[in-house]
Amino acid sequence: MHRPWRRGVRRIGVAGVALGVASVLVFALTALLPGETAEIVLGPEATDEQVQRLRAELGTDRPAVERFADWAAGLVRGDLGNSLVTGRPVLEELTHRLGATVLLGGTALLVTVPLAVGIGVLAGRRPGRPVDRVSTGVAAALQAAPEFALGLLLVGLFSLQLGWLPATAGGGSLLTPAVLVLPVAVLVVSQLGRLSRQVRLGVVQADRSPHVTHLRRLGLTERVVLTRHVLPGGIAPALQQLARVSDGMLSGVVVVEALFALPGVGAGFVRAVQLRDVPLVQGYALLFAATTIVVNLMVDLVSARLTPVREENP
Amino acid sequence: MTALALLLVGVPLVLALAGPLLAPLLAPDAEPSPLRPPGPVHLLGTDALGRDVLQLALTGGTTVVLLTAGALALTYLAGVPLGLALAATSHRGLAALSQRALDMLLILPSLLLLMVLAGTGRRGIGWLLAAAAVVQLPAVVRLVRGAAAAPARRVALETMMLSGEPWWRIHLLETGRFVSGAVLVDAGTRAALVLTLLASANFLGIGLPPDVVDWAVVIEQNTASLFLAPAALLVPAGLLISLAAGTNLLVDRVADRTGAVT
Repeated sequence: MHRPWRRGVRRIGVAGVALGVASVLVFALTALLPGETAEIVLGPEATDEQVQRLRAELGTDRPAVERFADWAAGLVRGDLGNSLVTGRPVLEELTHRLGATVLLGGTALLVTVPLAVGIGVLAGRRPGRPVDRVSTGVAAALQAAPEFALGLLLVGLFSLQLGWLPATAGGGSLLTPAVLVLPVAVLVVSQLGRLSRQVRLGVVQADRSPHVTHLRRLGLTERVVLTRHVLPGGIAPALQQLARVSDGMLSGVVVVEALFALPGVGAGFVRAVQLRDVPLVQGYALLFAATTIVVNLMVDLVSARLTPVREENP
Repeated sequence: MTALALLLVGVPLVLALAGPLLAPLLAPDAEPSPLRPPGPVHLLGTDALGRDVLQLALTGGTTVVLLTAGALALTYLAGVPLGLALAATSHRGLAALSQRALDMLLILPSLLLLMVLAGTGRRGIGWLLAAAAVVQLPAVVRLVRGAAAAPARRVALETMMLSGEPWWRIHLLETGRFVSGAVLVDAGTRAALVLTLLASANFLGIGLPPDVVDWAVVIEQNTASLFLAPAALLVPAGLLISLAAGTNLLVDRVADRTGAVT
């Protein structure tokens, strides 16, 4: 009775540990790798005074353990330091850009999931037929294509050739649907295949299961068999793939925002990297790591919720 | 579908490998100027830096192929022995702990790991190759460990142990030979992943230096000229898509025919 609840708490605990590990990893990557960060960031032409000032600002003149303790304590208080370039708090820089990314990623996920389920079911119900072969082949091809190259081809067609859609946001509002179409299309096209192939596999397996064969023999209509038995059985295994798709979208968001000049956290991350704004890079990295962990946790919790139902009704 | 996959891989691969040999045959331009439209001297026009787009297409693929091959080679050179050692060790707890430690690298998506390194000045070919290889390690080690510990292998291993064969011959050489099929299929799938990762890093300006001619670097240098010199972006973009998509499609078809799982 209490097992699902206990499993959920354990998963949340594991996610908490993962967040701790992520913060250590981000700190280690930005502060503990070979080379003096201040010298590398400022380049060979920097004066000794400039290097000393940046070392003091980054805290690299103090022992690593002490720096990490300070950084982690700040993290707990929600203080990630200040941007080296703008001087504004890192947290403010992140939240300022979050809305655009949530809108872009959320829209892309909202389009991807039903589309992938539709294609997966369509292909899975006709394994080996042309519709299956074409959709599986196209999915395999497109899921490997680099997002920026895919985006450029779409821009070439819809902006340059046909003139239907804007090539970049160009400072315009993301709430203008036309601005969002191409960035969302790139994310959807590049992630659709991963999910639709998993749904297809789940549907093929569920469709051939003894349980479904038995229901057909009992004379249930094909619609009932499909909607009440094949679909739930086929979609449940694809949930884990949804976590991977979300991870892929996180990387995709960075590239897509950079390509289409969208004012989100992905473009902000790229800019922070270009300006070598170390505290901001740490902040963005933590934000992306935390998002990965939270998405995986949510998928785990939903999967755990679905599993007992399937066990009770084989 | 297999013929299409071969065509998609073949064209950019031949260009990448033979292109640098063909490029010098193009007539040199005495007065190169930027953003020229396609014409008799420059069949695909010139880019924002005044370089011939056809020449860039012929020479920019070598780095893509070599970097991908290099990162993959590093991954398997480190991952296969590590996976075999973890599969062979009698300290199960140590093996599981090592795998968990490696999995921690997956907390940050691969591209973002490269960005964090670049953001603190760790950029260049060495860092790019090392980081691209390291982020593939957890999956490769897991695959090799799993393949090496397959039940079908146990009888052969026990026979070799009883006949007094040395540890390295049993667990590294013979088991290594046994897992080579799974590793080869994995390498095919991973090639497209690594290619896309490295190309994305180069597009974002955190990979190769700007003076290197590379399809993704050329795209990054010409993004502002899309409407003035579209070929400078669309030709390398098309070649990158063709190579990555074709590779994945080809591996998918081969795996489908042989029944291997990708």
